Amino acid sequence: MNADADADDGADDGADADDGAGARTGSGAGLGVGGFALRVVLVAAGLAALGYGVDGLLTMPRATHPSNAAAWLIGGIVIHDALLVPGAMLVGFALSRLVRAPYRAVAQGALIVSGAVALMSLPLWRGYGGSVDNRSVNPLPYGRNLAIVLGAVWAGAALLMISRAVRVRRTGRTGRTGRTGRRDAPKAG
Amino acid sequence: MRQFSRVLRTGRPTGAVRVGRVGRVLSGRLPKPLAAVRRGPLRAGAFPSTLHDQRMASLLGITLGITFGTCFLTGLVSHFMQHPPNWLSWPARPVWLYRVTQGLHVTTGLASVPLLLVKLWTVYPRLWEWPPVRSVAHALERLTIVPLITGSIFQLATGIANIAQWYRFHFFFTVTHYWVAWITIGALVVHIAAKLTTVRANVGRRRHERIPGTAVSAALERTAGGQDLEEQGNLGNGRDGAPPTGGLTRRGLAVATGTAAAVIVVTTAGQAVPALAPLDLLAPRRPDLGPQRLPVNRTARAARVAAVARDPGYRLEVVGTRRVGYNLAQLHALPSHTVRLPITCVEGWSADATWHGPRLRDLLDAALIPVDATVRVESLEARGGYRASEVRPAHARDPLTLLATGLNGADLELDHGYPARLIAPDRPGVLQTKWVHRVVML
Repeated sequence: MNADADADDGADDGADADDGAGARTGSGAGLGVGGFALRVVLVAAGLAALGYGVDGLLTMPRATHPSNAAAWLIGGIVIHDALLVPGAMLVGFALSRLVRAPYRAVAQGALIVSGAVALMSLPLWRGYGGSVDNRSVNPLPYGRNLAIVLGAVWAGAALLMISRAVRVRRTGRTGRTGRTGRRDAPKAG
Repeated sequence: MRQFSRVLRTGRPTGAVRVGRVGRVLSGRLPKPLAAVRRGPLRAGAFPSTLHDQRMASLLGITLGITFGTCFLTGLVSHFMQHPPNWLSWPARPVWLYRVTQGLHVTTGLASVPLLLVKLWTVYPRLWEWPPVRSVAHALERLTIVPLITGSIFQLATGIANIAQWYRFHFFFTVTHYWVAWITIGALVVHIAAKLTTVRANVGRRRHERIPGTAVSAALERTAGGQDLEEQGNLGNGRDGAPPTGGLTRRGLAVATGTAAAVIVVTTAGQAVPALAPLDLLAPRRPDLGPQRLPVNRTARAARVAAVARDPGYRLEVVGTRRVGYNLAQLHALPSHTVRLPITCVEGWSADATWHGPRLRDLLDAALIPVDATVRVESLEARGGYRASEVRPAHARDPLTLLATGLNGADLELDHGYPARLIAPDRPGVLQTKWVHRVVML
């Protein structure tokens, strides 16, 4: 903990020194005067747009129901930060214990695809929404369709795993030189 | 961070002394919280994955900048088509313009789901940064992240709910989605300003040269931008994306994220793109499913016109310099034209259909309505925001604009607007007024 704190201090001091130099030359680091001016313009424009949005949201309360909108705005980030990401990390932890190295990356990737597709179509396969007298809204068998799509995703993942297994067997666990992106397979075994 | 403080500092040209003081206040180090509080996700090394890195965050950030920018611009098109200011007159050509912009809006939004989730996962350790606040400038920068993330999640979640017509919220979707779009895009622009240097140092073939200054200041820049990523066990803007654990590499994560976005596009875009219709598995609409093989957004029952629209005593009235009335037989006896036009819903789906009926401009001429006049087309609906729509000359006088009485070779079905509905090129579906009984010169 102490060592950490020291390193931390050092980094901060260094950053300050860099900061001072930047201020003396009057330019954004690595961007030049033009880049610095660009930034000022971006910050000003961004804050203006942000303020315009907040103002609009608050001045049309009959349509926007600000307290309900705020509940959804805050609810979204809380659910994401407190449930979704920790949940994903738990799944990742479980994978690291359950799936061996050449295949784990493929399983991770397939889970990312599956999770995103399922989340994007959640109201459909859960049967939320639509109306009884309009059968052209949400008209498809979405549970079945999701199974088809995820089946295709995992079939692709299985093919990838098989090709990795074949490659590992053929080349052995040593002596492979690959690109950075593929180096994981022999390393882990 | 530091750059941001500098922006704030020199962004106020109120004299050197004062600028210096403001700068000191902004970038002055705040007291550190007790180390004993640093537990759980706050402790060093809490997030060991090497994929929490600046290059990944930068690349995803650029992609999201493009998709959110696309959503914002196409959203503005839709908003101003529905609420055109006086100086703005939308053209009636190309016929497919709104179809493309709105299809792009919804499809891009859906494809942004994996991009946003992976991006937020990548930068998640920043939420547990230690110390939580280093300086006033740092606090301000962190503060602008809040509307960015809340707005982004809100826009995607409410958009997904709206296209499925799943209304669990009390606010009116289009208005709230519009204002939160301004909040989100504003926060995004501020975020881009704050991260410009980080992105330049992490993206592009010559990125290593763009790490400001010498090797020494390169290290400083890295710590200034990604101090806690590094400190908590990550590479900062690492040069090698391969983790030692055998999990996904940086390239692998990018491929998985791109695949997720591609699968979403392929399985949903068919609700707007005819060629992809056979793959339309997970979209809320199918362009050929509905009465007369065409989807319906609002049924006659939902609009409470089911009885009055079927009344045999129906009369269409066109009110200009002269007032002209038509009963059903007279309406059907008018010279009929057949056009092929898409109907495009604000919810993103669109479908081609063949419509027939009298041209709107012929009806306007009969009522001696001048060519430069705007008209209001009124529905039998007694209430509701879409019971009437304004038609400006570009659309009112277009030869493709009909007061359609038939669809795909048969009379209109009740849910498609029987006895007569407006169909015009390049116009949002909610403005293609159904169950029309009056056209009034404004």
